[in-house]
Amino acid sequence: MNGCSELRLLQEAHSRCVAPSRHALRAFCEALGFGADALDDITTAVGEALANVVEHAYADDCDQRRSFELHARFDNGDLALEVADTGTFRHCVPRPYRGFGLRIIRAIAQQMTLDTDGGTRVRMRFTAKTPKS
Amino acid sequence: MNERPAIETIRLTGELEVGRKQEIRDAFALRDGARAVLVDLSEVTYADSTALTELLRFCMTAQREAVPIAVVIRTRQFARLVQYAGLASVFKIFEDPGEAFAYLSDCVNA
Repeated sequence: MNGCSELRLLQEAHSRCVAPSRHALRAFCEALGFGADALDDITTAVGEALANVVEHAYADDCDQRRSFELHARFDNGDLALEVADTGTFRHCVPRPYRGFGLRIIRAIAQQMTLDTDGGTRVRMRFTAKTPKS
Repeated sequence: MNERPAIETIRLTGELEVGRKQEIRDAFALRDGARAVLVDLSEVTYADSTALTELLRFCMTAQREAVPIAVVIRTRQFARLVQYAGLASVFKIFEDPGEAFAYLSDCVNA
């Protein structure tokens, strides 16, 4: 898997747009040769980031243009993923039964950063072998 | 007379994700008088933390009511999700629905 490939999706931040985006990412990664477990983990991590966007990012402001961008860049065995929105990051208040999304992403991705300045950007990194194993 | 089964079954299939949140929440409702519940998720092909949250809420409610729950998960993605969330020891998980049913039968007949 040499060279560079990119996938960029701009979608309405609505729950109906999450599954198609996740499926597109899976197909993109499958074409790059990622194995079944890696595909599961990548789509799980991104699925959590996308679910956070549609659940929380625009919850406080109906006037904003509700959208998210999913960007995947594969370069020489390294997969960099970014899920970005222009909404408001909601700091996690500990509540029973909630707050699994970021915990799951941190457990899966080899590297994860969260930038909440002017919207939210979740960046994740995986290698072509197996994520975090 | 229409007798209720000793073990009730909740079955969900396909992708359990944020777009089906309300449907998942509605499915995970503990019915009055339930003695044991088999949560059959063996044909779930993908799950996210939305499903996990509702499953956890349901199991905690059942625990308070002393209703035993067995969860059937066969998909690797779902099983790994539970592990990543640190919830593997919270649920009574089976891969085989028959084993889950046998476990609940023992609970009901104990």
